[in-house]
Amino acid sequence: MIDQDRLKRNLPLILWLLLGLVIVPGLYLAGITSIGTVNKLGRYMTFALVAIGLDLIWGYAGILGLCQALFFCLGGYAMGMYLAHHGGPEGIIDKTGWKLPACLFVVYPYKVGEAPGDAVVPWFWKPFWSLPSTIFLGLFIPGLVAFIIGYFGFRSRVRGVYFAILTQAITVAAQNFFTMNNMKFCGTNGLTRFERICLAGHEHGVDVCQKANLSFQLSSDSLQFSLYLLTAVSIFGTYVLYRYVISSRLGRILVAIRDAESTLRFSGYKPYKYKLFAFVLAAMTAALGGLLYVPQMKIITPYNMGAERSILIVIFVAVGGRNTLSGALVGALTVNLLYDFLTSFNQPIPLTGLIFPGGLTFAKTWPIVLGLLFLTVVLGYPDGLVKLPSHFWSNIKNKSNLTDKQKTIG
Amino acid sequence: MSRLYLGLTFILLFLIFNQKVKAEELYPELQEVLLRLGSKKTSERKTAIMDLANYQHPGLEELMESFKRRQLYIWVGPEDKPRLVLCENIKNDQIYPKDPLTKEKIKNVGGKPFQVSGTTLRQVRPARVERGLAENIKSLFKLSSSNPEIQLSGIKKCGEAKTIKGLGALSDLALEQLDRIAIGRSDGSSNKLRRLAYESALLIRITQTPVSTGDAHTQLVAELGNTKSQRSLKFLEKSIDKLNKGQALDEEVSRIYQAAIAKINTYQNFISLFNNLFQGISLGSVLILMALGLAITFGLMGVINMAHGELMMIGAYTTYVIQQVFHHSPETPNDIYFLCALPASFLMAATVGFLMEFFVIRHLYKRPLESLLATWGIGLILIQIVRLRFGDNIGVNAPSWGRGGIEVIQDLIFPYGRCFIIVICILSVMGIYYLMSQTQIGLMMRATMQNREMASGLGVNTGFIDRCTFAFGSGIAGIAGYAWTLIGGVTPNMGQTNFIVDSFLVVVTGGVGEIVGVICAGIGIGSLTKTIEPTIGTIWAKILLLIAVVVFIQFKPSGLFAPKGRLADD
Repeated sequence: MIDQDRLKRNLPLILWLLLGLVIVPGLYLAGITSIGTVNKLGRYMTFALVAIGLDLIWGYAGILGLCQALFFCLGGYAMGMYLAHHGGPEGIIDKTGWKLPACLFVVYPYKVGEAPGDAVVPWFWKPFWSLPSTIFLGLFIPGLVAFIIGYFGFRSRVRGVYFAILTQAITVAAQNFFTMNNMKFCGTNGLTRFERICLAGHEHGVDVCQKANLSFQLSSDSLQFSLYLLTAVSIFGTYVLYRYVISSRLGRILVAIRDAESTLRFSGYKPYKYKLFAFVLAAMTAALGGLLYVPQMKIITPYNMGAERSILIVIFVAVGGRNTLSGALVGALTVNLLYDFLTSFNQPIPLTGLIFPGGLTFAKTWPIVLGLLFLTVVLGYPDGLVKLPSHFWSNIKNKSNLTDKQKTIG
Repeated sequence: MSRLYLGLTFILLFLIFNQKVKAEELYPELQEVLLRLGSKKTSERKTAIMDLANYQHPGLEELMESFKRRQLYIWVGPEDKPRLVLCENIKNDQIYPKDPLTKEKIKNVGGKPFQVSGTTLRQVRPARVERGLAENIKSLFKLSSSNPEIQLSGIKKCGEAKTIKGLGALSDLALEQLDRIAIGRSDGSSNKLRRLAYESALLIRITQTPVSTGDAHTQLVAELGNTKSQRSLKFLEKSIDKLNKGQALDEEVSRIYQAAIAKINTYQNFISLFNNLFQGISLGSVLILMALGLAITFGLMGVINMAHGELMMIGAYTTYVIQQVFHHSPETPNDIYFLCALPASFLMAATVGFLMEFFVIRHLYKRPLESLLATWGIGLILIQIVRLRFGDNIGVNAPSWGRGGIEVIQDLIFPYGRCFIIVICILSVMGIYYLMSQTQIGLMMRATMQNREMASGLGVNTGFIDRCTFAFGSGIAGIAGYAWTLIGGVTPNMGQTNFIVDSFLVVVTGGVGEIVGVICAGIGIGSLTKTIEPTIGTIWAKILLLIAVVVFIQFKPSGLFAPKGRLADD
């Protein structure tokens, strides 16, 4: 059959459509799953978006960037600032007529001699008043940052582990930066007290949402459900786009960069341009994840951009399987659901009380489980979960040639 | 000259000794004053306190403290003579009255301590004013203490504006004693005492001579400027503020004040620069230790060990465990623990490193990116295990000799703890050099790293050597953790938050596999951080440092000391 190959290639997409856009919404509309579960799935899917981005640069182009969490948070902070503008009843009106968001009001870094009346909305908060500019900036700024990092990094041929360390250092620095109260990003508290998404309200500083009847309460079930659908559709769209990129000539060059960068360079290509493209694209995908994550989580803090979070995303990809886009998706959902499952137990594990004061619960051992999972995958299953069935089949059929692992596309 | 000092010292010692004898002789008279201290009248109690200031007795300071705490009672003794006694635990039924000065139980003729009931005692209840006065007088008594630390705190206290005000006329007594200390013993340990005493005396004098006296005042101000101390600076700034508020200040006076302030400022800035530099060097030493371990595992073996920070943490926690084993605490010091902790932390971290290599890393030599991830996973596990076992915040108490420091010149203090770290660092560098270049195993290590097949062919057990090298690098990280306990906090994620990124920066900046480069970069980054930190804040310093390193890598991609020739290709 001619179509069998195509079907096989499109299988992940079809499965995704079925699961994400038919089964889960169906279960919800039938009243079987609660909105809480759907919301949770929606949040995990935003991580999957970041993971897909990382898969492109790590799995295909061989660049281990440890600042995906930073891009995720840049998108998240953009959305967070937008939501903070329109949320929280406690904010005040400042001298210039802008409404000071409640979360900023709480931790506003007053200088000596300043009274609460002197607080002003910082200039960099103002573009995030309207939704279109928020979305634009939420994608553009991470893209720009990625461009700068990538330009200087790739051009001077910082590679492999060095690039990983460099990006990790940048992430740590950025986290410190956002943690400072002086920077007016609400410090460790993060952005919170969100209330509604407002589609009107382009008149600067004046809240016209309540009159215009165009605002949606964040806590309402219908909005949360729509956000879930939006996330699922975004993943679908991203997946299609990425598959297009990978199967194009550009994608093949990326794989060539991973496998033999010097050779490629000697053949007259400029690898840094392609790397830069992939890096920026991945960053913007991560930022899209952030934009979608914040209205579903209703809070964003600098904790989310730590080095640990970046590594966590690497774990998603590693567990699911590198250089398969579906692997990133499967990995993100599996690890998160496993986390969800394990942390729901509260009884202490028997016998652990002998060594650890008070005994252990599964919730407390999560980092250990995560670490072990990581080790198992890296040492035992470098191809990840999605390749397990095929490995399994080839073992059954007794024609295993595991040694030459094919780098399949798609 | 030195003979003169010696003579003076003898005279002084004689004076002190003589006075002690006097205090004993004066005892009956002192008893009378003490009785007045227990009077029911406030005014009488007050004069009694003032009178006490004329006596010198080692127990007087404690007496004032008990007075403040209302632990003094009037007790009508067996011979119907009322006397002042100290009862510390009045709630208890068995009250043993004690002598307020010696704190010994009062005994009857047979040598048995008296035991009385609460009804026969009358508490002395000082008013607030008296308590304040007692507090001030306390610092006066401290001046004649034989313990230099107490004496020092007394000297400092006497120069405080509050105390000067509280002592009032009694300040003259303080002045007399301060002057005596200021010209007194000249051995090294009391240099600081003399300086501070001189300063305190000046402060008292300035307070006593108002601005209206003109030259006398300004002369004192100029002299105070010569002390160059922080305290004088604060005092001068405060008083000039106060003077400016009153009326237009005489230009000449103002100028002298400003000159004095400027003089102190210059000196203090100079000192703080050196202090920061020293802190930077000691921080750099810890960084060097961390980076040396990394230089071995990363530079020589090519393994990215993200759990390196956790190995450091293990070193620090081993120090903590050893401390618990030896029951060391600030109250009951057991300094030997710190010596035992050094090999223990090395061995513990080395063991963990050995196991790590055996179970995980040896499978990943060909895959550096994956070794990065796997070691991160190990780090995650180690952090959580330690957190669950020991909790989040533990205290490692420095040994008693680790407190204090060498005062090189006035206000420039090199803390012993930090000096020790530098020494440890130097010894480690020497040790590593010796091991690598002079010993059999070092030779085998180098051989394995340079040409594995050849070494193997010559009979070197390369797998075992790999394991040893990795364990050795890990052990150095353990020592870094051990050293860090002297200057920083110990938490399960200390390696991740503070060190791993910095030490990788050190290795990258210094050039991979270059020990000299690591040392230069470690000292450079450490002292750079510490010198710019005070002006722009910790976080900005970090960001700036990062930018600097990124820019540096742009121009020198293979570090300060790049390998040349055939080794240089990637």
